[in-house]
Amino acid sequence: MTVLISVAIVAPLLAAACSLAVRSHPPGRDIAVLAGLGSAALASHIMLVTVARDGTHTVAVGGWAPELGIVLVADLFAALILPVALTIIFVVEVFAIGQRRTVWAANPQLSGPLLCVLTSGVSLAFLTGDLFTLFVAFELILVSSYVLLTHQGNRSQVRAGMTYVVMNLLASTLFLFGVAFVYTATGTVNMALLAERIPQLETGVRLGIGAWFLVVFGTKAAIFPLFSWLPDSYPTAPTTITAVFAGLLTKVGIYSMIRFHNLMGMEDLGPIMLLVAALTMVLGVLGALAQSDVKRILSFHVISQIGYMFMGLSLFTVAGTAAAILFLIHHMPVKAVLFLVGGLIENHEGSSSLDRSGGLAGREPLVAVMFAIPALSLAGIPPFSGFVAKLAVISAAVDQGGTVVVVAALLAGGLTLLSMTKIWNEVFWGGRTDGPRPRPAPRRGRRIMHTATALAVAGTLMVSLFAGTLLDLSTEAAEDLRRPASYIAAVRP
Amino acid sequence: MIRLGIRAASPFAAVVGCYLLFAGHNNPGGGFAAGLVFGAVLALRTVAGFHQPTYGVALVAAGVLVVAGVAVMPLLWGGPLFDQQVLSVEAPLLGKVKAGSALPFDIGVAAIVVGTVIAALDGLGASEFAAGPPARSDGGERE
Repeated sequence: MTVLISVAIVAPLLAAACSLAVRSHPPGRDIAVLAGLGSAALASHIMLVTVARDGTHTVAVGGWAPELGIVLVADLFAALILPVALTIIFVVEVFAIGQRRTVWAANPQLSGPLLCVLTSGVSLAFLTGDLFTLFVAFELILVSSYVLLTHQGNRSQVRAGMTYVVMNLLASTLFLFGVAFVYTATGTVNMALLAERIPQLETGVRLGIGAWFLVVFGTKAAIFPLFSWLPDSYPTAPTTITAVFAGLLTKVGIYSMIRFHNLMGMEDLGPIMLLVAALTMVLGVLGALAQSDVKRILSFHVISQIGYMFMGLSLFTVAGTAAAILFLIHHMPVKAVLFLVGGLIENHEGSSSLDRSGGLAGREPLVAVMFAIPALSLAGIPPFSGFVAKLAVISAAVDQGGTVVVVAALLAGGLTLLSMTKIWNEVFWGGRTDGPRPRPAPRRGRRIMHTATALAVAGTLMVSLFAGTLLDLSTEAAEDLRRPASYIAAVRP
Repeated sequence: MIRLGIRAASPFAAVVGCYLLFAGHNNPGGGFAAGLVFGAVLALRTVAGFHQPTYGVALVAAGVLVVAGVAVMPLLWGGPLFDQQVLSVEAPLLGKVKAGSALPFDIGVAAIVVGTVIAALDGLGASEFAAGPPARSDGGERE
């Protein structure tokens, strides 16, 4: 188990170093990147099986006690989310290899190593057991994301990148202040020790720190009203980069919230948080309806869907937290696949703009199917995973009597379907308009792109297929998060 | 004059860097600080027009490999991640010398920092300066 946890974090870093060393030699570079990402993903899947069977496992880095050192904790929550995240990154990297010959591709010399560093940061963020290492993991993710977002140096990328960097730097600074507050109030930043000491804090201090971190993680997760940086920056990056960002980065923020705010005892702020969740859902999807570009529509959907996870968390019940976890598992692959299909549309149509494309269903029926499945899933149509996840969130809210937020969730679901219909009508049906069409990818590249997307779609179907098992596991993870006795026992034997 | 000053100061600065590298285990210092000092020396020498190092990215890659290698090495004999092994030997003249596995880790960190500085100088177009003596008087302010 120690080896598995270490591999998930260190293997991508080693791969980053190797691929940097051989960066001008394409096959060697790709093998290094894929080997690093693949071994990390494999380790995380084995970790899930082991943790589900044997319970939480910890690694004390350098052999130091939790009071002094860093502890990496693979509890059920982390073990559930990590394989989803790492598998997505692996599939996206395969897609990126296929996309390489097109004008939309990211520069592989830069994006390969940086994607590995980002992966390492994601693993660390999920597995860390203390708040400061979480900050370091966030920085690892963000610094590589700054470069990935802007490395092509277009005017629009640099402009959007500016907002992105400023917002995230601000949030990171607030994060660091927050860590200092927590340490001042409790004398520790270790989550297990925090779980013991936070209940002894005064209510005002506890809620103040909780609200502070709500702003910090809320900026990373793009909840209302802190989402302004997202829809401008995401669509400008290369598709593969956007797929990873949309699938993972905001989710790391939500993940941290689910882990941290369940510890903080924030029930008093629950109603306000539910209102924020409702606004996030509805405003996100209204923004999506106003757009006329596939990637921009999908970016606004990221915000809208974050609202559902935030809603599950804000209920502060086991059922609500479990629903939020299940929604995370459903949402990450679905969102990444939709962006990959956006990349395919770009490749076939020459643009992701709705006005310039049309009739793709007739020419590329496979692409149409690969769009329809995750799109229906995102809108919450049975039997796909989105239906199960939304049902879990809404029924948890109904149990708590949150009428307003349930109405908002249903409304947002309907509007999501509407905006997906818009993409379908404009891109897959209708006629095509004339305009300059860049040369599509060569046949071999297209085959790799299609295979990667199909694999990812199959992954989302697997989530639907095992939704029952996943909900059981999520509930178990949520019980541990709400009552952290077993977590504390695992960290401090 | 600037070139002369930099040429005279470089060896001393390098010694300070080495001191920081070895002192960092129990005193203020360490790989990052040492890397910054080495990087400052290289940056000064570059903008003064001595030479333009080009091995920045390779140095970063080597540094990350060393650091990650030190981190996972203890797993081979079943220790925890980042476990430290300390080697203690009686050396002539120096007395008792202790070297932990934190030392290669620090060297790796220093390599990453120096490599980043070199790569950044490369990205900022420092090769213009390396061609000869500084053409513009604002060269020294780049650092």
